[in-house]
Amino acid sequence: MALLQIEQLTKQFGVNKALDSINLEIGQGEVHSLVGENGAGKSTLIKMLSGVYPPTSGTLFWKGNEVSFESPKDSKDIGINVIHQDRQLVSYFTGLENLYLNNPYPKKKMGLGIDWKAMYKAAQRLQDKWGMDIPLDIPVSKMTPSERTLLEILRAMMSDSNLLILDEPTASLTDKESELLFSFIERLKDQGVAIVYISHRLEEVIRLSDRVTVLTGGKLMATIERSQLTKENLIRYMTGGKEIKSTRLPKMQEHQEVLLQAKELRSVDGSIKNVNFELRKGEILGIYGLAGSGRTECMEAIYGLRKIADGEIYFKNELRSKPTPGSSIKQGIVLIPENRHEDALIMDNTIMENMTLPILSKLTKNGVMQKKSELSLVQKEMARFKVKAVNVNQPVSELSGGNQQKVVFAKALMSNPLVYICDEPTQAVDIMTRADIHLFLKEQASEGKGVIFVSSDLHEILEISDRIIIFSEGETVAELVNDNLNPNDILDICYLNQKEAVQG
Amino acid sequence: MNANVETYKKTINFNKNMISSYGTIFAGIAIILIFSLLSPGSFATLDNLINITRQISFLVIIAIGATLVMSVKEFDLSIGAMASLGGVVAAKSAASGLPLFLCILIPVIAGFLIGLINGAIITRFKVLSFVTTLAMGTIIGGFTFWFTGGATIFENIPASFKFIGQTNLGGIPLLSVIMFLIVISFWYVMSQTVLGRRFYAIGGNERASQVSGINIGKYKNIAFALSGMLAALTGALLASRLGSAHPTGGDGFFLNAYAAVFLGMTVVRSGVSNVIGTLFGAAIIGIMANGLTILEIPTFMQNVITGIIIIAALIIQKLGRDS
Repeated sequence: MALLQIEQLTKQFGVNKALDSINLEIGQGEVHSLVGENGAGKSTLIKMLSGVYPPTSGTLFWKGNEVSFESPKDSKDIGINVIHQDRQLVSYFTGLENLYLNNPYPKKKMGLGIDWKAMYKAAQRLQDKWGMDIPLDIPVSKMTPSERTLLEILRAMMSDSNLLILDEPTASLTDKESELLFSFIERLKDQGVAIVYISHRLEEVIRLSDRVTVLTGGKLMATIERSQLTKENLIRYMTGGKEIKSTRLPKMQEHQEVLLQAKELRSVDGSIKNVNFELRKGEILGIYGLAGSGRTECMEAIYGLRKIADGEIYFKNELRSKPTPGSSIKQGIVLIPENRHEDALIMDNTIMENMTLPILSKLTKNGVMQKKSELSLVQKEMARFKVKAVNVNQPVSELSGGNQQKVVFAKALMSNPLVYICDEPTQAVDIMTRADIHLFLKEQASEGKGVIFVSSDLHEILEISDRIIIFSEGETVAELVNDNLNPNDILDICYLNQKEAVQG
Repeated sequence: MNANVETYKKTINFNKNMISSYGTIFAGIAIILIFSLLSPGSFATLDNLINITRQISFLVIIAIGATLVMSVKEFDLSIGAMASLGGVVAAKSAASGLPLFLCILIPVIAGFLIGLINGAIITRFKVLSFVTTLAMGTIIGGFTFWFTGGATIFENIPASFKFIGQTNLGGIPLLSVIMFLIVISFWYVMSQTVLGRRFYAIGGNERASQVSGINIGKYKNIAFALSGMLAALTGALLASRLGSAHPTGGDGFFLNAYAAVFLGMTVVRSGVSNVIGTLFGAAIIGIMANGLTILEIPTFMQNVITGIIIIAALIIQKLGRDS
C-alpha cells in the first residue's frame, strides 16, 4: 500500500489552474522527485501536502485512509515535514534551541525552569541514531549551509517523520556538502522514510530518485521509473516535446556597434563568477538561466546595484569603472527590475511622482520643480503607453499589475536611454500588456537601442530575442543566434553545464 | 483634465480619508472652542493668540527638522541635546562679546556639522538612526556639561543678545516672524523643489529610489544636517529669549517635537511627515499648554492631557485609514 496517494488533486486560483487533476503515489522508503520549470506547480503541490492551501478538489489518502488538512499542524501531526529553501531557523539560537523550536521543552522537577541536560541528551541520541554530527551548542549563524540543512532535517525527525519534502535542499550547498546530504537521504530511505525531492539539478535527481514526476503548467506530464531515468528523457518531458516557432524578426544586421560589453565579470558576493557578453545596437538579447544562475545578480552588477570584484564593463567602448544607478541613467542605461513593487515603484506615490523620479533634475529651474512641463510630459507618456488610470495623481498602488508595469516602462523611457535592461518585464502582467511591452521593446531596438531581455519563460525568450545568452551557476556558458532554436537545445545546455560548473 | 484631478482628490478626501484628513483639525478647533468657553476673558483674545505664536515658535522650528528626517524614514533623537548645545554656545559667544549674528551663526554651523556626522555614520555603516542619534545626543549632552561646568550661563550677556528673543515688530514678536519664515521656506522646499521630492521618494521606497538613480546617502545626510541646524537654532533663539542658557535647557523639546510631527502626519497628506502638518501639531500642543495654564491646571496634569490627545489622534488616524 502506498504511504501517500494523491487522487485528482486540483488547485484553482481565480480562473487559473495552478494544478490540474494530479494523480501520484508515494511509497514507503521511496525517493520521489518532482521536476518542472518555474510555475509548473511544484510549490502549489507542496503547499497542499503540507496543509498551507486546501485543495480545490481531489483527495489525499494516507496509509489508505482519506485525510484532509485544515492547517500545517494537521499535516505535521501525521508525519509530513517540509524542509524549505529559505531555512526556518532562528539564526542566533543554538542548534539545540532550534531543534526544540516547535517541540515542548523538557521541564525540570516541579516545572521550574528548562531541563537543558535532558534536552541535550535527547538531541545526542537522535544524532547518534541518524549518524549525524552537528555541533549543537553553537548558534545557527556560525554553522555551514549543509549543517543548517541537516539541522532542519534532524528537527523534522524529532517527531518521527514518515514523509519528508525537501525543496531545493542543495541550492546553496557545495558539492561536498551535497554528498553529506545525499548519504543522509540514503539512510532515511533505509529506515522507511519517504522523501519528496525537488531540485533543478537533474544530475542529483537521476542519482537519488526511485521515480521522477514531471510537471508542466500545472499538469502531470509523466512519472518516470528508475529504469527509464535519463537526462534526455527528462528534458523531453519537461519541454512537453513541443517545438516553438519564433516569430520572424527582421534579420539582425551584422557588425553593428557594440553598446554594452561585460568581460570576465565577477561580483564580490560570488553570485556571478565569470560573465562575458556583448549587446549590440538594434538587437534584443535574451538572457536565460535556471533559478540561481545569477541572471538578476548580473544585471544588478552592470547597473551598479551590486559590487563588482573583477572584470570590466564597457559602454560604447568606454570603461565603466564603478557604476552606480545614477551614472547608469546619466549615460543611458536603465534597469526594469524584476521586483516591481519593491525595486521599481513607490507604491503610495502618484503615477506622476513615480514616472519623473529619475529625471527630476531635468524638470527644474534652480532646484524648483516646473510642474507644468512635468504634467505635460507625464500625460504624453500616459497616452503613449495607454495607462488606464483616473489621472496622473492616482497612487500606483491602485493600478492593475499591467498598468503598473506600463508606468515602470514610461519611467524608463523618460531618461531617453540607449540600453534597456529588462528583468522579467512581463511577470504578472496580462496578455495585452505583455504584447504591448514586446512591441515597445522591438520598436526601441529598431530605432537603434539595445535591449537585454531576462526571462525565466523559455518560450518568451525564443519569441523575442535575436540572440540568446545562457547563464549557469553564475557564468555565461553559451551564446546562440535565435534561428530555428527549440527549447530542448537551451535546456540541454543549462542542465549539461550545471554539473561541470559545480565541480569547477 | 484639471477638473478630473479635482474631482478625484475630493472623492478621496470625503469618502476614504475623511476622518484621518480632518480629524486632527476638528480636534484642534474643538480644543480652541472649549478653552474659549472656559476662559473667554483671557484665552480668546488677540493678545493671547499672538502670545501663543511666540510660545510655539521654538517647538515649531525644532519639529520641522524632525519632519525632514522623518520624511526619509529615519529618526534624529539628538535634537533635544542639540538644542541645549545651541543655546549654550550662543550664550557663551554672547558673553565673550561676539556680535549678535555670530552668536546665532556659530551654533547653527555647529548643529549642521554634527548633523552631518550623524548622517555620515548612519549612511556609511548602515546602522540604525534611532540608536546612533540617541548615542550622539548623549555625547552632545556630555560636551555641553563639560563646556558649562553644569551651570546656567547668564553672566556678562549683553542686552543686545536679547534683541531677537524679545523684540516686537508692530506688536508681533520677532520670534513669531522667524518661525513663519522658516515654515514657509521649508514648506516650499518640501513641496516645490527637487530636494523635497527626493526626500519623499526615499521615504516612500528607498530601494526603488536607489534604482531610480538617487544617491540615498547624500540626501539622508542633508536631512540630518538640516535637522541638526534647526535644533541648534532653536536653542540659540531660546537663549536669546531668556537671556541665559541652561546645559539641559533644550532637552525637553525632543519628545514634544516628535509628538508634533506625528500629530502633523494625521493632517494633510496622511501618514507622511509634512511641514504644514507639523505646524498644526505644534500649535495643538502649544494651545493645550497655554489654555491649561490659564485654567491654572498643574503641569503634571497638562502632561497627562497632552499625552492622551496625541494617542487619540494616532488612533483616529489609523481608524480612518483602515476604513
